Amino acid sequence: MANRILYIIFFFGLLATTSLKAQEKLPQKWTAEKIKGTRQIPYASYSGLPFLNDKFATGEIEFLDGSKMDSLGLRYSSYRDEVIYFNTAISAQIIIDKISLNGFSFTDENGQKRIFRRQYYDGFMPGNRYFEVLSDGDIALLVYRKVILQVCPPYNDNSGVLKNMSYQDAYNYYLYNRQKGYDLIRINKNSLLSKIDKLTQKSVKKLLRKNKIEVNDELSFIKAWNLLKENGITVNF
Amino acid sequence: MERKIVILLLLFASLTIKAQEKESLNLFTDRDLYVSGETLLLKVFTSASEQSGIVNIDLINRTGKKITGAILEINNHQADGFVYLPDSLSSGFYLLRTSTRIDNILTSKELYIANRFTGLPASNSDMQPARVIPLKETFAQNLEIAGVEKQYKLRENGHAILQLPNELISQVDGDVSVSIAGNAQDFTTPQFLQKSEPGATQSIVREGINIEGIITDLKTGKPFKNAIVYLSIPDSIPGFQYFITLEDGLFNFQIGKYYGKIPVVIQCFAKDKSSLLKITLSDHNKFKNETQAFERRIFTPEFIKYVEKATSAITFRKIFNQQEITIQPAPVVKRDAYPYYGIPTKTIDPQLFIDLPNFNDISKELLPGVKFRNYNRNPTLQVLNMAQLFYFTEQPLLLLDGIPIRDLNVIKDMGTKDIDKIEICQNERFYGDLIFPGVVAIYTSKADYTRVPESNDLIKLNLEVIQPRAILNTPSEQRLSDPDLRQVLLWKPSLKPAPKMELDFRTSDIKGNFKLIVHGKTRDGSTFYKEQIFEVN
Repeated sequence: MANRILYIIFFFGLLATTSLKAQEKLPQKWTAEKIKGTRQIPYASYSGLPFLNDKFATGEIEFLDGSKMDSLGLRYSSYRDEVIYFNTAISAQIIIDKISLNGFSFTDENGQKRIFRRQYYDGFMPGNRYFEVLSDGDIALLVYRKVILQVCPPYNDNSGVLKNMSYQDAYNYYLYNRQKGYDLIRINKNSLLSKIDKLTQKSVKKLLRKNKIEVNDELSFIKAWNLLKENGITVNF
Repeated sequence: MERKIVILLLLFASLTIKAQEKESLNLFTDRDLYVSGETLLLKVFTSASEQSGIVNIDLINRTGKKITGAILEINNHQADGFVYLPDSLSSGFYLLRTSTRIDNILTSKELYIANRFTGLPASNSDMQPARVIPLKETFAQNLEIAGVEKQYKLRENGHAILQLPNELISQVDGDVSVSIAGNAQDFTTPQFLQKSEPGATQSIVREGINIEGIITDLKTGKPFKNAIVYLSIPDSIPGFQYFITLEDGLFNFQIGKYYGKIPVVIQCFAKDKSSLLKITLSDHNKFKNETQAFERRIFTPEFIKYVEKATSAITFRKIFNQQEITIQPAPVVKRDAYPYYGIPTKTIDPQLFIDLPNFNDISKELLPGVKFRNYNRNPTLQVLNMAQLFYFTEQPLLLLDGIPIRDLNVIKDMGTKDIDKIEICQNERFYGDLIFPGVVAIYTSKADYTRVPESNDLIKLNLEVIQPRAILNTPSEQRLSDPDLRQVLLWKPSLKPAPKMELDFRTSDIKGNFKLIVHGKTRDGSTFYKEQIFEVN
């Protein structure tokens, strides 16, 4: 009798295993989207950094159809406004076609997630640009992390060559709304207050003081901006 | 004790069957009996847990051979479509089989198709699949069909009202399907489940269709590792995919949302270029299903009379060129805004210039940065790398109507008259893990891909992809003086369930019994139906 029960248990076990096996879906080797791009040619060597992150950081890209590809080594060229990824399979640095992406994100050396969105800029020098999203929402706070090559006082580089050009940050900050477009903004207290009703300005100053926020750099500006959002203070835009 | 075990086993078996029924596909057709040359209309309900985005319909004969079929898109756990029944079909029982290619349970529906030229077999009987267990469908007591008369005259307008109680509406998963079609009395064919294993390695297809196959070494016949397989879809913006094989030599591609028929070219090559390869596509229709048993079915006089009438009707419809359905335009699918090889650096229209007889002259006169030479009958092609201002040493990606070509002899005789436009990318392009040292894309005037030769390592297909939707033609679209010989008076495969659903139909010139039938699927996986028969005389 005990044997019989054992057989039955074995039978049920076998049945359960085969049922589970049948339900297993086969691994999908095929991926829909492939990264399209061109080879990255090294930039001319000057002082300053043409890249936002000099080393490749792990990040993800989002294609036009919304599909994402993660665990990529990415770095953003602020000089050319391009995202470059390192293809480990073929050991190549590839500039990803800007028009093939909705955006990308990566985690920088400080462990902070940086999100970039490709948007059409209709102001001076119109075209598609990667904007870093500092604060998202109905009115988003964006930054175009542009680096320019500018004439500077002569200097000798590491090889002793005399040069007079350097990569310099020329960041532009914008308030962006889908309907109203872009509004250039400076990273200081006055610029922030200018976007708020005169009647409310006093209470905003008080709020900033109370939260010990002195708006004098990007980080404090983002804090102040998020504080205004949290307190439901409307921005004139 | 033994009795208890037997009861337990029986209970388990019955629960398994019940669970399979709920997870299975359900297939309904407008009729059970057809004449060759007609169009079969069908509706499929899938389970809520179905992962596949498409469902395959195959019409198979008694020996299990696929005759024709369709690929339908699943939306909201349901799909509908049609199958043209070829004129050449011999009279007999057929199975309409539905699968998502990864199922191990297939749903099949029996049909009888009579050949319109030879009619029924002289014995007035035929071999019918035997010992099938029909899928149970619940009779919907609370679904009311109102307003349908018992009798109608020829070409008379009819009106039906479906009344669905809120309790049923809340249970319905997706839509309900309604049809009114000619009905051969006492002749119904069941739908049933068959156990099967898919014939080849299959993966879930969320949209579009799946193409699978194997690359083998032509000399040894063994699977070939590291073969690069290209799939191209020639178009104004060509589609392209690639696959690098592993030890098993297998490859698979998923073609996205394409509708109707599309040309597809599959080619492969080895990295070392010396190996000769062969592509073999997998046959998806080889399902290892159980051998079917058959029994003889003798036809009733009513059945024979119905077939005779239906045969005359379809013959007249063919004479008057009356189409049963109208195919709807395929939905617009957002695709890439630029070709996979990148935005061209230059685009040249050779027809704007003087007539040049061959590609050598075209490259010299019209294509700056493209070096095509044909010394000693050994053509070479090079593209200038604009970023670094030197010519790539390797041959660029050469495309003919979007199809990658490696043999330059194919283009050497092409003159300006043969070419519509040439696109050039003068930089090193990357597509996934592929590197293209420049791109030359030639679009021909004819765009018929005849210049691309088929071989063991290049297959050209005219692929049937997702079926576009179709609607049943109504008599108002035809000339009123013509005979109206519709067997199907109404076909609404996707009606949103509502408390009161009004349906209008018009009888044709065909006398006999017609059946209004409503099908639906509830969230618990079971199907329901309600029917009403009326007479036209």
